[in-house]
Amino acid sequence: MQSRSTPPPRRRRPVSLDSPITRRSLAGFVGATAATALAGCASQDTSKDLDTLQVWGGVPPENGPQALVDHFMEEHPDQKVVYTRFVNDDRGNLKVNTALQGGVDIDVFFTYDSSSLAMRSHSGMAADLGDLVRSTPKLEPFLDTTEPKALFDGETITALATTKEPNFLLFNESLRDEAGIELPSAWELEEYLEAVRSLTANGHYGTYKLPDLPRIALGPNYWYAGEGSNFEDPAFLRHFELTAQMIRDGEVFPWSQVLARQIEAYQQNNFIAGDFAIWGTAPFSLRFLNDSEQYPHDFLTACAPMPTIDGADWNSGVYGNHVQINAKSPKQELAQEFVKFWLLDGAADMAPGGKIPTLDNVDHEILLEAILGENMETYFDVESFRRTLFENDPKLLADTDLTAVAEITQAYEQQRDVCWLLERSPQRAIDTIHADADALIQRFRED
Amino acid sequence: MTTATTTPPASGPSTANRTRRTGRAPSDPKPLVGWLFIAPNLLGVLLFTFVPLVSVVLLSFTKWNLVSGLEGIEFVGIDNFLFVLQDPKFWRSLLITVVYAGVAVPLTLVVGLLLATALNRDVPGRALLRACFFIPYIVNVVAIGMTWMMLLDPSAGLLNQFLGNFGAESLPGWFASSRWALPALILVTIWAQAGYACLIYLSALQDAPEQLYEAARIDGAGRWRMFRAITWPSLLPTSVFLLITLFVGISQSFGMIALITNGGPGSSTTTLSFYMYQTSFQFYRFGYASAVGLVTFLGIFALMLVMWRLQRGRALHD
Repeated sequence: MQSRSTPPPRRRRPVSLDSPITRRSLAGFVGATAATALAGCASQDTSKDLDTLQVWGGVPPENGPQALVDHFMEEHPDQKVVYTRFVNDDRGNLKVNTALQGGVDIDVFFTYDSSSLAMRSHSGMAADLGDLVRSTPKLEPFLDTTEPKALFDGETITALATTKEPNFLLFNESLRDEAGIELPSAWELEEYLEAVRSLTANGHYGTYKLPDLPRIALGPNYWYAGEGSNFEDPAFLRHFELTAQMIRDGEVFPWSQVLARQIEAYQQNNFIAGDFAIWGTAPFSLRFLNDSEQYPHDFLTACAPMPTIDGADWNSGVYGNHVQINAKSPKQELAQEFVKFWLLDGAADMAPGGKIPTLDNVDHEILLEAILGENMETYFDVESFRRTLFENDPKLLADTDLTAVAEITQAYEQQRDVCWLLERSPQRAIDTIHADADALIQRFRED
Repeated sequence: MTTATTTPPASGPSTANRTRRTGRAPSDPKPLVGWLFIAPNLLGVLLFTFVPLVSVVLLSFTKWNLVSGLEGIEFVGIDNFLFVLQDPKFWRSLLITVVYAGVAVPLTLVVGLLLATALNRDVPGRALLRACFFIPYIVNVVAIGMTWMMLLDPSAGLLNQFLGNFGAESLPGWFASSRWALPALILVTIWAQAGYACLIYLSALQDAPEQLYEAARIDGAGRWRMFRAITWPSLLPTSVFLLITLFVGISQSFGMIALITNGGPGSSTTTLSFYMYQTSFQFYRFGYASAVGLVTFLGIFALMLVMWRLQRGRALHD
């Protein structure tokens, strides 16, 4: 039995048990943490600097935007502009969308794809630029509704296209010479198809894929008709049938290889390897062809215009790189001044990055050198590019009906894939797209 | 025997408090210290699990596209759930998910069990073999995807070249075919997950009651009889654990699908989790995506409960 007078040996207790922690102090700790977290969240909203214009775009600053911003600040010495670059992919656009709704200080932003354009414009996120356009005579081309360059919603204009992005056909000149075909400066669809067939030979296909034939025939908003979709138009079925048949005949690059190697976004490696002779693409692809270190090749590349279809001559290229002003920005006046500067005076700064301005206000030779690179004669038939890109004045467009455009794009691409894999008939594929698109338009027309 | 520790001290507030060991006294610091220790984790669970879970439930009754901000949230009642019921894409995604998980999970268990049974014996290089079979489970999904895309390339892939050498004419398109993409995905999933199942089964096999095997051998039981009567019942809880965790994991698989097939060709590999991703982060229909997520969660939860109840009372240890 242990004596009471002798204290038991003191056991060493955890340090924390000796510390004077009470529920009150714990509550204080949690409260402080929460307050810090909330303060962190709120800081985005409270950090708005009314003297600094925040511009978010997808083009790297060194490819033009920074020079443009610097020139703007030279002309407006009392104003400060900060350009922030985001990567123009799903994740980058999600970041912009989250930032916009979260109250991050963004005054001017750029939108590159139709889905984002529809969402940002129809969510009240974009300010009306109608007054700016109507009060500036040099911006009058943006009021054109036959070849739209802006996004209209009635009288409201929520986005202005800053660049032209024409499509064209590139020829592997070695393969063209072998086939003995003349380089066209203008041609009809049948002539184009004949050239593809002539260029098909052992070891390579005639072309990567056919141009978007319904787009050439129908122009802007070609997926929509009245209150429903326009996929009943025979142009869509013909496009699917023709492509499927030419894949079956070995004239068009197999779609199974496109999907298996995931080359739908970029096909420069296959063009350089001579997998196909004609490549329908846009200016952004040309940077690969003048890079002899990364993409070595020993043939010259020439350029031809898109074919016309029964007189219809839409290029299928678009007016793109839309600039928008955040409707919540407290710097509307400064933002409008900057947008105007970008469209009118800043186009020359963007030219070295290969951006062809919507308003055609930069010397074509400067643009040609920017697009084709310094050693353009080494890699390209320069005259054919000059003719196709500038002298032919390709007829571009910008869609203004963007109802459920992301969902319809998915429905279209899913059916296109199985049709061109030769696993589904063109008629069934088009019927499915038509039904899906009608349902989607009906469901989301009011959004 | 000592009585001192059980005898209450004479008096005084501090000693009185010390006798109340339940930790319910307002001034007792111990439970508070415990709470403090788990506070960071608790905060994380609250912020990153509980808040999103509640948000999904709330958002499933709304129409919201994120960009319009919180003021753009529109309450639509049960419209999203009604649309789920009549959405053919939802039902197709559900079917694909059921086929994907329904085939991949049992086959993964079978392959895992076969590997574990083989590796539970004294075979040369057993440790190395175990490591080899487990490696796919810890390899990054991007590496797995890229490797299998090359192996299963319809024209240049090793597998089709191998099949071609035997005179096969109509070779599968694998990931570039709406008919073959899902089977190919199941194949890759089994390859990636079987090592995990093998490892868990191995540990369970080593816990199997040796005295029962001895008794069975004395009674003249053969290998198959011993497997049926002893091994399998002793592995049942492990199998149910694997069945549930693999089913939940595989039915929610996203990375491999996003990397290899992006849900296609067509919609042949669009599982429910990928459909949710498309609906939310590609179409920005967050309300509807939440409804799809909630319905999916409830479905998987109900299925797990059924599985759990079915196995109760059937294990050797019960």
